[in-house]
Amino acid sequence: MSDANLPEVATGPFVYDYKAAPNRQITMPKSVPLPGFRAYVAEQEALVIAEEAKWQKQLADFEVAKAKAEAEGKDVPKAPVKAAVKKNDTDMVFPAPTEAKDADLLRLVEMLGEKVEEVFEQAGELTCQVGKDHILEALQLCRKDSQLKFEMLADQTGTHYPAATGFAFSVVYHLTSISRKKRLRLRILVPEGFEPESATQVYPSANWMEREIWDMLGIRFANHPDMVRILCPEDWEGHALRKDYPVVGWGQRDIDFREDRGGMLNRIAMEKAGQLGINLKRPKAE
Amino acid sequence: MFKNEEMEINLGPQHPSTHGVLRVKLRLDGETIKHCRPMIGYLHRGVEKICENKTYFQGQVWTDRMDYCSAIANNLGWAEANEKLFGITVPRRAQYIRTMLNEFNRLASHLVWLATHALDIGAMTVFLYTFREREDILDINEAFCGSRLTTTALRIGGLREDLPPGFEKLVHKFLAKFPDCLEEYENLLSENRIWKKRTVGVAKLNAEDAIALGVTGPMLRAAGVPYDIRKAFPYAAYAEMDFEIPTRTEADTYARYLVRLAEMRQSARIIQQCMDGMPEGPVMAKIPKILKAEVNEVYHATEAPKGEIGYYLVGEKGSPNPYRFHVRAPGFINLQSLPKMVEGSLLADIVAAIGTLDIVLGEIDR
Repeated sequence: MSDANLPEVATGPFVYDYKAAPNRQITMPKSVPLPGFRAYVAEQEALVIAEEAKWQKQLADFEVAKAKAEAEGKDVPKAPVKAAVKKNDTDMVFPAPTEAKDADLLRLVEMLGEKVEEVFEQAGELTCQVGKDHILEALQLCRKDSQLKFEMLADQTGTHYPAATGFAFSVVYHLTSISRKKRLRLRILVPEGFEPESATQVYPSANWMEREIWDMLGIRFANHPDMVRILCPEDWEGHALRKDYPVVGWGQRDIDFREDRGGMLNRIAMEKAGQLGINLKRPKAE
Repeated sequence: MFKNEEMEINLGPQHPSTHGVLRVKLRLDGETIKHCRPMIGYLHRGVEKICENKTYFQGQVWTDRMDYCSAIANNLGWAEANEKLFGITVPRRAQYIRTMLNEFNRLASHLVWLATHALDIGAMTVFLYTFREREDILDINEAFCGSRLTTTALRIGGLREDLPPGFEKLVHKFLAKFPDCLEEYENLLSENRIWKKRTVGVAKLNAEDAIALGVTGPMLRAAGVPYDIRKAFPYAAYAEMDFEIPTRTEADTYARYLVRLAEMRQSARIIQQCMDGMPEGPVMAKIPKILKAEVNEVYHATEAPKGEIGYYLVGEKGSPNPYRFHVRAPGFINLQSLPKMVEGSLLADIVAAIGTLDIVLGEIDR
């Protein structure tokens, strides 16, 4: 390999550019993938309308082209053909959401009334979305009601939806009924800063799960006995599972070891720029 | 002269009996534990965040490395959650092979548990016996997929390849000798006076508390609740298998030991049935090279050796990456019950309690 082919090597100390670091690039999600029956139906209807509009445009275009060709005495173009429905040659069938028919969901609607925002079934799972102020009531009902009897809170977690309007997070509760062999998902949508009631008041197992949600997503829960971080240290900045948090931690992995073996030049440049990284601060002498 | 004050000590994070890097903050009155607070996170790698930034297929290697003692059980939960998300039908032969590998994995995990648990309490010999059989299981893993511990054996939609030639011989050889090996462990421990002194009545957790704290797996079954996801919500080929759910009612460390030993016998039974009834056919479903989801969310739970492992996935339309990837780690939830089990008991019992929880910190911290 001749010298001309080698890439140019920068001379002098590496200048740390906070924004250009390749691992730092965050692509914020544009859509709000919140499953639901109503949203699905609306999307399907919009698709049909779009499809029809496209077909009408094709027909109109053809008419124009035909008239033009006839006027000029050329060959008439072929008439458009409706595209055939794509054949599914895989073993995949998308489990579309369906209307709620399960007795548990109907019972929830019956007992909670207007506090239920949406109920549907998808992929064999039951989902019930309740108002964010009524989650404690819904959990108590699921625990105590003789027809529901969901004894165990198997899992609780959240999702960040930065592109959504009106809410920023969803919190989901996965309940299990051991005696009836059923599962149920409760869901609430909460805006930034809202503190939902803690599920520990009904299910003690929510303790660590809610601490994890606070740690990872930054949703605090009201009336939780011990609302502190669980996986990250107490002085950690930011919440890692938010979509605006980079995959690679601040101040790490930006060192280009090809030019700077050991990373010292880089580290010095970063320190001078005041960007040692939020989680790599020097401990303060006390 | 006598001081009557409470003392605070740290058990871990660098302590051999904590199975990794678990720190337990204890407040003692003499040798009695007054307060116990487990502190975790020393092994936090951000598996969920990483998997959200990788494609659906690439997440698999991270599930291997959560609970590294039961990689196939983690893979199975992950693969089935993805299959549920996309609506993929898996061929029957693949289901059988998966079931068999999963049960082998359960054996391997329980053998490691027995070895380390006994070692913590002071029974050194069992360690040498159980690791001998575990070695055979790792050889079987190696024969199937080339790796021993972090196997990445399964794929979304089935398996990477079919069973290798000569695989049956390996399995039959193992199954022929395994019942005798189990008897060996029982001879060493079950009626051992020291073992019983250290385990009977230690770290009790009754059914009511266990359910309230979300405890699953052998811990729950030793408290008398016959909840096993393989029976309650059958997956893979478990619906076609004939096996029992061993339960005890004593809810102590000794009962959990007996439940896990009985479970190993049932696992051997399931493996035998898989080998006998192995159907012919393909092992991989027809799926595209790149999976792009529709808007959907699933929570799929399977019975890992340590309890219920659940995957919560949210799919974004047109994206090859999961929008949300969450793991309900059994160890994470089960560890919550540690204060309930040890508060009021002696300091030495916490070692037995951590052992009986069967925790792997790689899974708890993720």
